[in-house]
Amino acid sequence: MSQRWNKAVSILSVGALAMAVVPLAMGTATSSASSKPTFVIGVQGPFSGADAEYGDYDFGGATLAANTANKDGMDPFIIKIEKFDDQGSPTLSPAAAQKAVGTKNLVAIIGPAFSGASESAAKYYKAAHVAEVSPSATAVALATSGNTSWFRDVADDSVQGSADAKFLVSTKKVTSLLVIADGSFYGDGLAAVVAADAKKLGATVTTETIDAVNNGGSGVATEYPTDATQIAGKDPSAIFYGGYDADLGLLLGALASAGYSASSHTIMSGDGSNVAALYSTDTTPQSAANDVYLSESATGKVSFFTGKLATAYKALTHIKASTAIYAAQAYDGTNAIIKSLLKLGVKSSSSISSLRKGIITQLHKVNFEGVTGQISFQADGNLKDDTGAVAISQMQNGVITFVTNEG
Amino acid sequence: MTFVRLPQVKRLVSIVLVTAVVTLMTGESGNATTPPTTGPHGAFFERVSYFGLFGARRWMVFLTIGLLVYGFTFLYERYMPPVRRKVRTVTALPMRLVQKRTSRFAMYAVAIVILLAIPHIVTQTYWMYLIVEQVGVWILLAEGLNVVVGFAGLLDLGYVAFYAIGAYTTAWMTGVLPAPPFLHHVIPTLWVIPIAVLAAMAVGVMLGIPTLRLRGDYLAIVTLGFALIVDDYVGNQNGITGGGEGSLQVPHFAIDLGFWHYHWGIGPVPYYYLCLIFVALFMVIFTLLEHSRVGRSWVAIREDEVAAESIGINPLKYKVMAFAIGAASGGFAGVLSAGLIGNINPTMFQYQASINILILVIFGGMGSIWGVALGAVFVQLITSYMDNYQPWGFQINDLYMYIGALLIVMMIFRPAGLMPSRRRKREIQSFEETGEGHLDDVLTVDDS
Amino acid sequence: MGFAHFWLSGFDQIRTSFWAYLLVGLQNGALYAMIAVGYTLVYGVLGLINFAHGDVFMYGGFGAAFLTRGILGSSVASGWATVGLIFAGIAMGGLVSVGVAVSVERVAYRPLRRRHAPKLAFLISAIGASYFLETLAGKEFGYGTNLFPAQVFPVGQTMFSVFGTPVRTLTIITVVAGAATLIVADRLVRATKLGRGIRAVAQDSETSSLMGVNIEKTITLTFIVGGALAGAAGFLYSLQSGIEWNSGVELGIYAFTAAVLGGIGNLRGAALGGMVIGLFGSFAVPFAFEGNTQWVEIYTFLILIAVLIFRPTGILGEKLGRTA
Repeated sequence: MSQRWNKAVSILSVGALAMAVVPLAMGTATSSASSKPTFVIGVQGPFSGADAEYGDYDFGGATLAANTANKDGMDPFIIKIEKFDDQGSPTLSPAAAQKAVGTKNLVAIIGPAFSGASESAAKYYKAAHVAEVSPSATAVALATSGNTSWFRDVADDSVQGSADAKFLVSTKKVTSLLVIADGSFYGDGLAAVVAADAKKLGATVTTETIDAVNNGGSGVATEYPTDATQIAGKDPSAIFYGGYDADLGLLLGALASAGYSASSHTIMSGDGSNVAALYSTDTTPQSAANDVYLSESATGKVSFFTGKLATAYKALTHIKASTAIYAAQAYDGTNAIIKSLLKLGVKSSSSISSLRKGIITQLHKVNFEGVTGQISFQADGNLKDDTGAVAISQMQNGVITFVTNEG
Repeated sequence: MTFVRLPQVKRLVSIVLVTAVVTLMTGESGNATTPPTTGPHGAFFERVSYFGLFGARRWMVFLTIGLLVYGFTFLYERYMPPVRRKVRTVTALPMRLVQKRTSRFAMYAVAIVILLAIPHIVTQTYWMYLIVEQVGVWILLAEGLNVVVGFAGLLDLGYVAFYAIGAYTTAWMTGVLPAPPFLHHVIPTLWVIPIAVLAAMAVGVMLGIPTLRLRGDYLAIVTLGFALIVDDYVGNQNGITGGGEGSLQVPHFAIDLGFWHYHWGIGPVPYYYLCLIFVALFMVIFTLLEHSRVGRSWVAIREDEVAAESIGINPLKYKVMAFAIGAASGGFAGVLSAGLIGNINPTMFQYQASINILILVIFGGMGSIWGVALGAVFVQLITSYMDNYQPWGFQINDLYMYIGALLIVMMIFRPAGLMPSRRRKREIQSFEETGEGHLDDVLTVDDS
Repeated sequence: MGFAHFWLSGFDQIRTSFWAYLLVGLQNGALYAMIAVGYTLVYGVLGLINFAHGDVFMYGGFGAAFLTRGILGSSVASGWATVGLIFAGIAMGGLVSVGVAVSVERVAYRPLRRRHAPKLAFLISAIGASYFLETLAGKEFGYGTNLFPAQVFPVGQTMFSVFGTPVRTLTIITVVAGAATLIVADRLVRATKLGRGIRAVAQDSETSSLMGVNIEKTITLTFIVGGALAGAAGFLYSLQSGIEWNSGVELGIYAFTAAVLGGIGNLRGAALGGMVIGLFGSFAVPFAFEGNTQWVEIYTFLILIAVLIFRPTGILGEKLGRTA
């Protein structure tokens, strides 16, 4: 008995000691040998769990921008990119945000990648005066909160959603549309916009919610066959799915089995499904993913890296640039931050907090031609030029192929 | 055949198998973009090198380590017992001193001082946040479940439902859910605490009355089903509870008494103190309950329900009471979380959380208030540490692998938990020795 | 939408697509039934809720998927190759699952039995085993991986039509394989000596051992039977939905619900319960409020709770006794 007590006590005390020591140890910074100060730009997004690709894409894009800037040596500082994992969840996002904010030398954030996570992290970044440039958080409501330190270099869901509705009803002449939401902040928001706009344009719209199995959803995979049966029975001429690729894949497979396919009807989804994985790993049979339309909240043509940048991205991350959705936005966002830092004129005596505030001010004034379009922000954080056309693509023979611009 | 049955051979085989599993556990992870055999293949065949001197494959390295451990076990058997005896004699006196009453009070006093000073020791906001969110909230949940499982011996697998009710009541009352708040009047967050706690207790009573007559395992299933229903319901009632997104705008706590107001901002420190007060409060209340008539009734029901009934204790009444009291702590944890994180959504309340809370209770020592608290602190801190610093490329998802293995090992060697209450420990030991029992729903099957 | 209208439209949907719903319900039901047998047998013999059984199912699915992918690659099989591959998939799934199930028994439960540990210890150990197995699979195969077996027949292929509704090959295979394996398991438990041993141990383990029944072997056999069925179900499930590291979790809950519904400890009860849950889950979809399918889950668990309160022994009655 006493021996066990002994063991328990010693374990607990060692553990407690370790816990106490570690945060203290964290405080000690390692001074860099070089004379240039190092600034950290964080990337907040999912780096683990089912959506880890999104975070990796953004991280790759940001790192590419940082490496380019560091390599030519012209800047009076070095940029380092760090990951902050929130698993795409709004509940884990505050923790990631606080970790980021507490990181020494962190001057700005790329992200958060997901809309729900953006919403819950906003107040922490705002309080710490850390600018956020999100490459992919498309929920409309994010720009209405009056947060002056939040920016996004991607069009929001009202743009994407209304373009999708217009494509379906006006271009594809769909008359009966079933809009399915997956129960997530992003999916529900996008689905709501599409449903409302399609109704305005004159289509008969019914809505449904099928809880996602992945991405923290609480659905069960066996519900897809039963739901597909019901949908096939109702036989709408088109379906719009607001959600992510992993669950869209399951739905497509179930629909194909129930006799409802994208080739005989029109099936469309948004940027959450606009990834190569939809064909390669998410859908069985893979052919069920063909002919599905996918939109991207990009203005102008498909905004993946092309040419030299694509090669550089592939060399850096071993990921094909044409599949890395929103990496280009992350790249542009990082460049926006770097340009702001340059404008501020960094001195060795600059304090991090003054830099953070300065970046926010500068971001409101930034204006340059990025990979994805003209980077210049409105007062509410949206891009100035976000009313442009949304890129619509289609999965053709396993490859996401650009079809048209809409909107 | 007899060769294979030799204990030494059996031990060798088990050690080799365990080594193989450990190799897998610590090896490369697969992911969605690589072929699925990458993970196991990498775990065994990846090359490792030491100081550039020589290279080997992982399986060779681990096998060597395994064989060394095997040899070591023989040395341990021969040389350890006298050392252990020595240690026991040396620590006997300090152990006795520690258990005296005055030293206990001294320990409590020191603990209180340390706890109050923690915000000054831990300067990083992020870690303070984690301490409240990962440790504080979970201590409350574990203590509450301890009342249900540890004191009353009821196997509740759906405890997270009370947590959800506390959180959603907070959101509802403060007007941040799509459904309008009660009587259309928004209530400042701090005043929601008693309301949410009462709501959780009420639900505990309502759930308990029809179901607590059920036998142990069935009670477990029913509570599990109830938790799943609550999670699903709040998850799909878009018009009432905000559906899958929940609420993203729960306001922080604030007190406005006219002459004095205080607003909990986004900093975690004020939440820490609030949490500390309530943890202390609940621990005191639960301790008083344990030694009161109610607590003794619980023990009586646990040990022999029929006998308890025959002396006039109404089992249903006390079981429902346990549910309600346990629910209070869970409900408050919900309020605290909602106010601290500022958002709630159904993914926080999935049934796995109930299992995690149960693990904390078991690990710390079922039935022991301090054991559960310390166990929760220990496990949660280790979890947060592993998650944040990721030693050896550790992934947070892998954590449950280690927890799972730890649970199996713990149940084999120390089922009573880290710091079990003495009574529970006696119960378990006597059950193990004689196989005879007591009709505790949690510990054994009620066959009557 | 008015209340009456809601119910009427629901029934109308069932009327128009009755056979489609029935077929999907049977398909899901067969899967639940197969998995439920494992839960019910282990509970009958050991009094233990084998939390790890869902993960046994999952490993079977992965094993079968690996085998078929290894044999077939990305081509599509037809004719006799299809038949052969289906048998191979079921066999491989069963084999892998049996391996996992028996390992769990040896590592997590047998040491506890030797020590006469209290029942809660078994439960916690089961939970630990479940967490360990799931996370190991997730780590090794990837948390985001959804693995599909090779196409042993063209997906979406239909074999014939009944009353105008096409019947898919997958549905036929699942239901037939499910029925076959369940019948075999039932015969095994009822008619063979080993099976009688299982029932004897479930009823009274002390007397059984006095009568010469080898308790350890019987317990192992229980896990083998349950595991084999779960593994087969894993393969069949993966043909429709692919296998992920956490496929066993929710499915396990549904299957366990089915076992309890049918009468825990009762193999036929588990089969019946599985079918009921599967069919109910299908026919309840038109009655999901606002088209939100989570209501089906809520309805299912409400029924479970109601059954437990008003008829705790399940539909066919439980078959339990004091156990080891």
